[in-house]
Amino acid sequence: MEYFIQQLINGITLGGLYALIALGYTMVYGVIQLINFAHGEFFAAGGYVGVIVLSYLAGNGHLETHPFLCLAASFALTMVYCAFLAMGVEKVAYKPLRLQSRLAVLLSALGMSIFLQNALMLTQGVYDKAYPSELFQGGLEFGDVTVSYLQIMMVGMTVVLLVGLNLLVFKTKIGMAMRATAQDKIMSSLVSISANRIISLTFAIGAGLAAAAGIMVGLYYGSVRYDMGFLPGIKAFAAAVLGGIGNITGAMLGGLIIGMIEIFGAGYISGQYKDVFAFIILISVLYFKPTGIMGENIDDTRV
Amino acid sequence: MIQEFKQVWKPYAVALLWLLGLLWPLLGIHKDGTLSFNETFTVWIYIAAGSAFCLFLYLLNQSGTLKAVSSPLAGVRQTAGKATAKVPVWIWLGLLLVFALCYPIFTGRYAQDVATNVLIYICLGLGLNIVIGLAGMLDLGYIAFYGVGAYTYALLNLNYGIGFWTSLPAAATLACIAGCIIGYPTLRMRGDYLAIVTLGFGEIVRILLNNWMELTNGPNGLLGVKAPRILIPAMENGLSFEFFYLKKLHFLYYIALALAIVTIISVRHLNFSRIGRAWESIREDETAAELMGVNTFMLKLLAYAMGALFAGLAGAFFCARMRFVSPESFTFLESAMVLSMVVLGGMGSIPGVILGAAALIVLPEVFREFETYRMLVFGMSMVIMMVFRPAGLIPAKRMGKRGEEGDG
Amino acid sequence: MMRSKTWKLLMLGLILVPFVFGTASAKTLKIGSMSPLTGPYASDGTDIKNGVLTAIEVFEAAGGMPGYDKIELFPQDTACDPKQAVASANKLINLEVVGVIGAYCSSSTIPSSVTLNEEEIPMLTPASTNEAVTDRGLPYMFRLCGRDDDQAPAAAKFLKEYLKAKTIFIVDDKTTYSQGLADGVAKSAKEMGMEVVEHDHVNQGDKDFAAVLTKAKAANADVFYMSLQGYSPGALMTLQAKRLGLESQIVTQDAMFQPKFMDVAKEASEGIYLTYGFTDTSTPEYKSFEDLYVPKYGPIAAYATYAYDAATVLLKAIKAAGSTDPDKIKAEIMKMDFDGVAKRIKFNEKGDSGSSYIAYKIENGKFVPFWSPVKGLLQK
Repeated sequence: MEYFIQQLINGITLGGLYALIALGYTMVYGVIQLINFAHGEFFAAGGYVGVIVLSYLAGNGHLETHPFLCLAASFALTMVYCAFLAMGVEKVAYKPLRLQSRLAVLLSALGMSIFLQNALMLTQGVYDKAYPSELFQGGLEFGDVTVSYLQIMMVGMTVVLLVGLNLLVFKTKIGMAMRATAQDKIMSSLVSISANRIISLTFAIGAGLAAAAGIMVGLYYGSVRYDMGFLPGIKAFAAAVLGGIGNITGAMLGGLIIGMIEIFGAGYISGQYKDVFAFIILISVLYFKPTGIMGENIDDTRV
Repeated sequence: MIQEFKQVWKPYAVALLWLLGLLWPLLGIHKDGTLSFNETFTVWIYIAAGSAFCLFLYLLNQSGTLKAVSSPLAGVRQTAGKATAKVPVWIWLGLLLVFALCYPIFTGRYAQDVATNVLIYICLGLGLNIVIGLAGMLDLGYIAFYGVGAYTYALLNLNYGIGFWTSLPAAATLACIAGCIIGYPTLRMRGDYLAIVTLGFGEIVRILLNNWMELTNGPNGLLGVKAPRILIPAMENGLSFEFFYLKKLHFLYYIALALAIVTIISVRHLNFSRIGRAWESIREDETAAELMGVNTFMLKLLAYAMGALFAGLAGAFFCARMRFVSPESFTFLESAMVLSMVVLGGMGSIPGVILGAAALIVLPEVFREFETYRMLVFGMSMVIMMVFRPAGLIPAKRMGKRGEEGDG
Repeated sequence: MMRSKTWKLLMLGLILVPFVFGTASAKTLKIGSMSPLTGPYASDGTDIKNGVLTAIEVFEAAGGMPGYDKIELFPQDTACDPKQAVASANKLINLEVVGVIGAYCSSSTIPSSVTLNEEEIPMLTPASTNEAVTDRGLPYMFRLCGRDDDQAPAAAKFLKEYLKAKTIFIVDDKTTYSQGLADGVAKSAKEMGMEVVEHDHVNQGDKDFAAVLTKAKAANADVFYMSLQGYSPGALMTLQAKRLGLESQIVTQDAMFQPKFMDVAKEASEGIYLTYGFTDTSTPEYKSFEDLYVPKYGPIAAYATYAYDAATVLLKAIKAAGSTDPDKIKAEIMKMDFDGVAKRIKFNEKGDSGSSYIAYKIENGKFVPFWSPVKGLLQK
């Protein structure tokens, strides 16, 4: 029983991370129908900038004196950085291609992803970059089950971000504008919602969430590497599709499901094939329910 | 030119400042608690200078100052075009063929190696072209069929001693079957979902190859695959035949050339046949095609299978050439490479795909000193190509608009 | 149609360019090195490259190679990927190198050695410990490090005699080296009467080991034997194990003998044991190597010393043979018997140079020689 609970906790932690990344994919797809391959790289960039800021603060000695403040500062700075990165990428690689075919934008996204990954490698080196790990050692023990403080922090942070996003999208005016643009771009511009601004905002928020996930992954696993964005990126996209692309609640659900399946599959069936389970579930769900679990929410004005 | 400059300088300046802001945290914040601006500035100055130069050229072009250079050039091209248009196409093709056949005679090992690579990727590109360019389906896991072909030959050769030429049809058939298996559940899905599902399948195949130790020896790969062999008469003790292994590089080059020629001819015939027209109709408007009596499902499956077939052939040859096969040759990045060859060269056009394959293999070799920047430049050039010339280098000639373009 | 022709001719021209660039210069002795320069094992690979560069430096300072103006190294990146290793071998063959130092991962060395041996280019590996490297009877294959069929019994003996373990949980990442060693340890352990509770696998390149570590924690064996390809996944696994509260004693192998392991795993790495070939750091050869290497390249990790020795062997053999003929070089290599930096260099008919594995312990962030199969517990 304890084994099951331990794996459950691991699954929730991982699922939360996938949910954060999946949200970025789903929001972007909802407004401009683009699979943003570069999203995985925003996640990796977040991990890197996080370690840069934290190491800087550690080098200055601030990390020992005010750990929580430093952590909060690094989260904030990293999310802002990735937001700007995403907006820049959008203006350069996606905006000029708004009227082109799907394939052209997809390839541009692919090219951008390769470019960003290599830019990270060239500026930061090919080795793993280690996170200062003086924070969050230890955990709570309930019999044989260990819940580390880090896991608690991560799950807590994920919940805060997800609730925040939900509030933003469903309870504020800007959120309404975002939902409107996702539903019908042309009509929303007729009621004076600037599609360009909303699209930039969507990218920024999505990247910010991915950046937070990146820092948490760095803290959790202890290090980041330039190619860490690829596999979580595709799995998160699979999670977004699973939950219904364009649907925010769907993305959160999809992320959790994929995380749990991966951990339970690895724990009970085989550790080697854990990457495969996510895809198998995705293909099966899409075969029987092509719009995903919670249904799609995208701009359907095109025929 | 000043006019154009006035329009352009604001976004350009903003872009440069934005780049500086993004670059500095990566290069300027250090572990020991110091901040510096030197490295960032050096890199940024290089980028700024390079882009300023390109912008300058672009503005010159826009304002017509370069006409003095380009019009005589255009004139030369015109006259040359008129002169050469008199010569029928088949003479050009014949010259090309002769060049390809004589190529190993006056080039070294290295150039033949590169050329063999180009030929393999031409096969792959043309196969993917069937799926994407002719039938209009986005396939991101194409490299899985390449892997199936390669491993088929490796396993047949190592376990049963079957030679290359006999394994070739076996590899093609198995790849075809794999194409049907992968195609069947995915063909009902919409464009972008098809992309992610095919990507998933590609990864599944790679992970299976990586983990199924009993069959494929996992990440360590299969070693000791024999090269293609032919029977040649041996003169001892009367007439008998013995095997001769074609290990030398120029033999492999000719085999690759033969495969490529077969692929080009087959794809061309498919393109201009009933099946090709049916594929084009599916690509342009699937509903209308269905209404006109085109069996869209079977034809889409056929497109998948045909594409997989050529990949299987290329894979078997790849294995015979390396004499070793491992799962790491069949990653998503390889799929992306083949995809970009097809799209950058010009989707749907055969010379375009050939050019794309040649460019993407030869250019990294030419710029070998900049090996570390290779992928960076590749990514950037993909973006630039898509922004400025999405139809590819040699666009296919189309009647009417493609269903995918236009209303996006 | 016209335009496509110009393009085609242009492209043909471009294809002709590579061989126009041709081959270069005066008399350069070309040596190749194959090691991972990118990816998770990049630091070990770069150490190997730096070791070879140091050897070339020392050799040229001592008078260089008669008949050649300089010695040039062509480092290739294998990324511990067999396919890239074979491609690197092909590149080196095209470059017409005289000998190759490499590779690092056994799964890279084995396939590329077939290619190189066919072209009769001597290959000396500083770090591939799997038995199959020299067991296949390849004529130009030599090994400077030890063998896993010596490392595994040494490890098992340590587990039995010092740790007095009864149950072992083994994890490997299915690569030739890791799995070979893990299988060897499992076999030796069983022969010595210990029980292998489970032998599980992860994938090369994985970051999340929570699932397999939870299994290990539930099994609660006396020893957790970690056999992975490099320090990077090893450090991650150690960190996660400690965080999860794994109580089994962690024992690992020579791939972890790398200071960066402690950088990433930090306190979690304290008290871990690992097996590694014994290197006497007090010899004059080691000290002079240290003086040359450390200021330029930083702390000495696992295989820089072996790479240095390998390159020295190759260069000395070429000089003694007076030619680059592979058979003559081989004859000279077989005659060698001297004190290298890492150990005494003498090759047997298979191309091995002997193994002497001892157990090290990580104490206060340093590797300390701890226990030897012959002498038992060592004094510090």
